[in-house]
Amino acid sequence: MNAPLLRVAGVTKRFRGVVAVNDVSLDVPAGSICGLIGPNGAGKSSLFNLITGYLPLTAGEIWFAGRRIDGMDTHLIAEAGIARGFQIAKPFPELSVLDNVRMGALFGRAGPRDVAAATEGALALTGLADLADRPAMTLTVGYLRRLELARAIAQRPVLLLADEPCAGLNPTETEEIVGILRQVRDRGVTILLVEHDMRAVMSVSDRIFVLDAGSKIAEGAPAEVARDPRVIAAYLGAPEAAG
Amino acid sequence: MMMAGGTLPGMLAQGIAAHRGWIALALAALVLLALAPLYLSPFHVRVAQLFLLSAALAIAWSLLGGFAGYWSFGHTAFIGLGAFVAGLVETGWTWPSPALAFAVGLLAGALACALLAGLIAYPILRLRGIYFAIAMLGVAQVLGELNNSIDAFKGTMGIVLPQLAPRAVEPATFYYYLLLVAAAVTLAIGFAVKVSRLGYGLLSIREDEDTARMLGVPTERYKIQTFVLSAVLTGVLGIIYAHSLGFITAGSVYRTDFSLNMIVYALLGGMGTLIGPVIGAGIMVVLTQIVLGRLLDTHMFITGALLVILVMLAPRGIVGFVKPILARWRGGFR
Repeated sequence: MNAPLLRVAGVTKRFRGVVAVNDVSLDVPAGSICGLIGPNGAGKSSLFNLITGYLPLTAGEIWFAGRRIDGMDTHLIAEAGIARGFQIAKPFPELSVLDNVRMGALFGRAGPRDVAAATEGALALTGLADLADRPAMTLTVGYLRRLELARAIAQRPVLLLADEPCAGLNPTETEEIVGILRQVRDRGVTILLVEHDMRAVMSVSDRIFVLDAGSKIAEGAPAEVARDPRVIAAYLGAPEAAG
Repeated sequence: MMMAGGTLPGMLAQGIAAHRGWIALALAALVLLALAPLYLSPFHVRVAQLFLLSAALAIAWSLLGGFAGYWSFGHTAFIGLGAFVAGLVETGWTWPSPALAFAVGLLAGALACALLAGLIAYPILRLRGIYFAIAMLGVAQVLGELNNSIDAFKGTMGIVLPQLAPRAVEPATFYYYLLLVAAAVTLAIGFAVKVSRLGYGLLSIREDEDTARMLGVPTERYKIQTFVLSAVLTGVLGIIYAHSLGFITAGSVYRTDFSLNMIVYALLGGMGTLIGPVIGAGIMVVLTQIVLGRLLDTHMFITGALLVILVMLAPRGIVGFVKPILARWRGGFR
């Protein structure tokens, strides 16, 4: 297999004694969709915060496209090609949908001449073209999720970190988001996906990493992971009995 | 749907095309203002001059305060610093002509403002919200105090600035035109910022700075650049203002009411817009100088009360108040 696009190697994050991420290593192959799952508080969002440089690591290394990125400034990591969609959608509320998405394109990797194309493309892909002039704060949750994705897509990322893009959505809306993610992947964007909706994440992912209490407890193809007793124990809370 | 490219000339062209109406309005106002000395009384020309200064200062303040949401409560620091550095340079040496003295003074004053802003930007712009505002208030106080108490800076004695107006021209008229040019340049710079990548970046900082960073916006660099730009523009306006006064002391250029007025004009007209500070300055100057000018005893009180009422009626400024109404209007005609 090729060298992974993203390599998280022995990464640890401590907040004053609390270990949020504990010696986690994972490789995300280029062109794949990888799922990152685990119970609440497992360290998934913390890991995203570490990858995007929002928080400094306590130990370990993060490599992206052959470059070591831990310790780099957040905006430079974004420039290198990592885009992030937030768990709680964070559009710029006062700006229009169009300006939100354009913001992604302007500061992404599209290049000055392709800003318009990147913006239009992202709006079309997420089905937001008709809402372009609406202020972001007037959107429903479902459309906010799309906007969150659209802005990230407009950045023309190499790697998209999607943090629960389906949270709070009904099954139909979830299907639509999954469809968008597949299309994004088909355009060559690698995706690391945190998602609680098991059906969604199992159906879309090529590979799954499972975190529990800050540590990686399992990794593999969706079907393998679903059978893994440690994973079942982590989710169902059954203690030693399962292992 | 209008789509902007991302190159600076492309974005400028796009911005000009998208704001054709506003630009026509600004040019018309410019012509009207340029002819004002022909049809206005000397008193009203002075009022118009105060309007130009106020509007331009409010725009300069707005680059950081309105676009990026970093409210400075001490922008008078740059008015005072610019004025005094220019004054000291112009009077400290003999220059062959007043025009040359002014040019050198302007350059030195602007440079001093850029230096000060650049120096304090890194520590001070890490403070957000009210902390930044208070820190700037402190900077202005300290600077004013230093200027006042160190004899070499002549803050207490004062400086008599060289007269720039040629003999044939009435000084009031001369400074009116100088300020008109400065205000037009400030507005043009503000427009270029607004429609460029920098302007978008500043908006994203105002909306959510952490998210902006993750989008790849170089937030630190943009804030520092804009702070320096805002400081330089404010300083240049302060230098021209100082010359129009002819004689300055620390008390006449380091003025807390300058700092506050810039905020009030932007707030009243509409934060984050360019027309807002202009409208705000227009309303307040007309109100205080003309309408209430005769009520000497009560005019500060009435001004304050009117301000409270206006802010309560239109919390998002005049622009925020009028925009939805205009939109509905246009919708009705379709």
